[in-house]
Order: sequence, then structure tokens, then C-alpha cells
Amino acid sequence: MSAVPVNRSSEPVAIGDLAAAEEAAVAADVRRSTRSRRMRMWAARIGTLVIIIGGWQLLTSAKIVDPFFWGQPSGIVKQLNNWVQHGTEYGSIWEQIWVTFKEAVLGFVFGVAAGIIAGVLLGMFQFLADVASPYIKVANAIPRIALGSLFTVALGLGAPSKVALAAVLVFFVVFFNAFQGVREVDRNLLANARVLGASKLAIIRHVVVPSALTWIIASLHVAFGMAIIGAIVGEFLGAQKGLGLVIASSQNNFNPNGVFAAIFIIAVLALTAEGLIGLLERRLLSWRPRSQSEAVGA
Amino acid sequence: MAVASTFAKRSRAGRGVRERSGAAQAAQIQLTGVTKRFATPSGSLFTAVRDVDMTIEPGKFCAVVGPSGCGKSTTLTMVSGLDRPSVGTVSVGGKPVDGITAGTSFMFQSDALLPWKTVLDNVALGPVFRGVPKKEAQAQAREWVRRVHLVGFENHHPHQLSGGMRKRVSLAAALINEPSILLMDEPFGALDVQTKAMMSNELLALWEQTRPTVIFVTHDLEEAIALADQVVVMTVGPGTVKDIYDIDLPRPRGAVQEIRFDPRFLELHHHIWESLREEVERAYARTAKPASANGGQS
Repeated sequence: MSAVPVNRSSEPVAIGDLAAAEEAAVAADVRRSTRSRRMRMWAARIGTLVIIIGGWQLLTSAKIVDPFFWGQPSGIVKQLNNWVQHGTEYGSIWEQIWVTFKEAVLGFVFGVAAGIIAGVLLGMFQFLADVASPYIKVANAIPRIALGSLFTVALGLGAPSKVALAAVLVFFVVFFNAFQGVREVDRNLLANARVLGASKLAIIRHVVVPSALTWIIASLHVAFGMAIIGAIVGEFLGAQKGLGLVIASSQNNFNPNGVFAAIFIIAVLALTAEGLIGLLERRLLSWRPRSQSEAVGA
Repeated sequence: MAVASTFAKRSRAGRGVRERSGAAQAAQIQLTGVTKRFATPSGSLFTAVRDVDMTIEPGKFCAVVGPSGCGKSTTLTMVSGLDRPSVGTVSVGGKPVDGITAGTSFMFQSDALLPWKTVLDNVALGPVFRGVPKKEAQAQAREWVRRVHLVGFENHHPHQLSGGMRKRVSLAAALINEPSILLMDEPFGALDVQTKAMMSNELLALWEQTRPTVIFVTHDLEEAIALADQVVVMTVGPGTVKDIYDIDLPRPRGAVQEIRFDPRFLELHHHIWESLREEVERAYARTAKPASANGGQS
């Protein structure tokens, strides 16, 4: 024991150095294994893509699969290139993309707003929920795509009929999530807010909506897909512009490459929107502890 | 001393008013013939508490102990105004409770912190709900964060804190409104023994600054005696007041870890435990018997 004070000046420094070196070694090790894991993952991903696209191209070139019916990757690329160079029969390809995107986004916005408002109201007021529940069940049972015919007749061939169909599809997805989210709010949090003197409106703003947001945002991923389906189907049913129309006319011309090319564009559109929703999610739900999977992915 | 289980409501209330002028803002709490029944989902009636008479003078710290399921929590929710008695009256500061009791703060066993708000915003909730401008509310919150020794954690979210730290945030959030009554439902029940002792000390120190009337529900008799001026023992459910004991240990009490070796403490503990033990044993027998007989009531 008496030796300890004498050593105090030198020993902790040595231990500190050792610990730092060890820490660096461990960190480097972790970095190395993460990097190699990531490289293997990307190699497998690219390999999968090559096998699918290459297999498709080979099978169709060898006429084992008929490219007249099933298209061909090289034909799809040619078709895309052709659209970019010379436009479609309804005007430039960018215009078609813009029309469909605008319809989907407007439908998404209206549907989400209506879904959140209705979900919060019905979640908060039991009486309203009791009154509305049979009607909601009936409305949910309707094949909503069929409403598209109604909207096309009533609202014409322009954007409004597509926006309406997209909004209806989005509404139900968001509504059920918002409703459930409001129902699941922790009773303790509500009681605490009430005791602290919160008004009903303050409770909705500070407790109910933020709590339901986890549910609502989860639904947005599905909802944007729904909005695009609404816009495309609306265009199938009758339109003057849009990617749905491009698909329909490709179908009528027995041009599978045109169908695939339009599908490819829509997929890019949907993935972009998905990415934006992901960003929004991370921003709005930044208070959440990072889940295990997110932590590993980072 | 001002301790009673009584029907003589008028004279008690009169004394409460006189004493309140001395104890700044604390309010008297009085329960008279309070019975609470709930309808169970199967339609039968369940009596949680029965004929509870209890008077807590302004600025007193009252601990309520009793076996599980004796209606301790129910009593608290009725005092806060979150729930109403089926029979009898609850009055705070001489006024019958109707709706949420003004000037009440509630601390629950689980933290009622909003996980999407930072520590500072959580503490500021009380003033914000009462309409204090955000800047001012945050300034008040900063002061309370300091008082519970959490400086530097203002911008953390609850999930980033330890259990004890979250309790300190809850405590600050409960006291920032300078309540006239503070209701605590096993607030430290989920903490480990050391943290619990530290929190008890902190609670006592803060309580002595503002001196609201406290009802503190707990299972832990030692905790009850160490903290309280008066210990109420409740019977097995449907709960009613069995005995009320004055705790004449001098204040300020100092560390709760040490007071439990005080001879007077041991004497009181022995005495009250005699009363409590009967109820605990009866509660235990009730839960143990059906298991051997026929599966129990659940």
C-alpha cells in the first residue's frame, strides 16, 4: 500500500496508453469486419441483378422465351432511350412523368390530411367512432378501384379524377393507422397531462398526435404506393396524359418493352418518394431510440 | 395533532382553513365516507374502496400503506379528480372535488414523461399547459432542472436517461407548478434500493422548500415512516382506513438511510407493522387459497 503514492505519477499514464492502443486495435478490427461484410453484401446484390437481367436477355435472345410477349432488357433500354430522344405519342416523356407524379402527390397529400383528421377525431371521441364504425366498414369493403370509373365520369379526363382516386386509396390506409395510434396512447400520459391542466386541444397537440405519429408515419410508406396505384389506374380508365396512358397504349400496340419501360420509370418514382418519406420519418421521429437494425446498418 | 379518521367534517374543515394561512399554499385533503365501485367487463360490481374517511391537514406528508389491490391508487385518482367516488365526498382546500383538482400534481409509478420531448420541454409542460409563454416556461423549467441536479441533460430525451434520472425529471415536472397537493403513486417502486434512497432524500429536500400536502402511496413501510408525518394503514380490498399513525420523528429528517436505525423509528415500525401484517397476511391467504381450490377468480 505504501508504494502506491510513489507510483501514482507514472503508472496511470502507462495504463492510459495501453488502454488507448487496445481501444484503437479493437476499433480497427470492428471497422475491418464491417467493411468486408459490406463488400460481400454488395457483391451478392450485384450478382443477383446480373443473373436476373442477364438470364432474361439470354433466354429471350435464344428464343426460349418469346420476346414478343415478355420483352427484352435491351429492348426496354432502347424504348427508354427512344422516349427520351423523341418523346411518346402524347408528348415528351418528362411531361408524362410529371403529370402522374403530380396526381399521385396531390392525392397523397389530400388522403393523408383527411386520414389523420378523421383518425384523430374518431380516436378521441368514442361516440363518433361508434356512429361511424358501420359506415367505415362498408366503405372499406367496397372495391375502391371501381370508384375510379365513377370519378372519371364525374370529374372528367383531367387530373382531378386521378387525384380523387389516389386520395381515396390513401385515406383508408392512413385513417386506420391514425385511429389505432390514437387508441394506443398511453393512459398514464393522458392522465398526467390532464392533471397538469392541459386543455383537450393541448392534449391532442402535445400528447395524442405525437404519440400516434409513429403509427401514421409507418402507414405513409404504404400510402404513397397506393397514391401511385390510384394515379396509374385512373389513367388506365381514361386520360389524355400520364404514364398510365403510356402503359395502356403500349399494351394495345403489343409492345411489352413499352410496358416494362414505364414500370421501370414508376418504380424509380416510387423509390424516390420512399426515400423522401424515410427522411421525413427520421426527422419527425428523431426522439426514438435507434432500433437494433438501424444501429447495425449505420 | 392534526390527524383524524372522522365523520366530524365541519369542525375539521374549519381547523384546516386556519392552518392553511400558516402553510402558505398547501391545501387540506378530506375524504368523507368515500366508496368507489367499478362495473367489471362481465357486468358485476367490484368495490375498490369502502367508507374511507381521512383528513390530511395542509402541508402534511401522508403515506398510505396497504396490501396490493386495497384501493390505494383508486383513492389517489379520486383526490386528483381523474375519477369520482360512487358514494361520499372528496374535498380539497374545503371545496368538493369536481373535475380535475386545481393545483394538483401527480407522480405515477411508471414515468409519465413524453418520450418525444426533451428533458427541458417535459419539465416545462406544466406551465405551457397553463398558458405561460414558451420562453418563460423554459426559463422556469431550467431552474427546476437545476434543482433536481440534471444540468447538462436539458436536451436529452427520456430514453437516454437512467431510471433514477427519469424520476428526477418527473419530480421536477410535478413540482414546477408549485402544487398545493402532490399525489404520488408508488413513485419509486420500480427503482433499485440505492437509487430509491437517494430519490427519497431528494424528494424530502424539495418538499421542505414548498411544502405541498402530500399523499404518498407505497408498499414499503420503511419508506413510508422515513418520509411521512402520518401513516395510514388500509385494509385488504375493498380497502378502508384501518389505522392512522402519527410519525413524530423530528424534521428535517436527514438521510433516510440513517433514520431507519433511530430507536423511535424502530419502535414505530414495529408498531405499524403489527397492524399492516394482518392485512398483508389476509391478502396473501386470499390469493393463495383459490389456487389450491379451483383456479382462482381470473
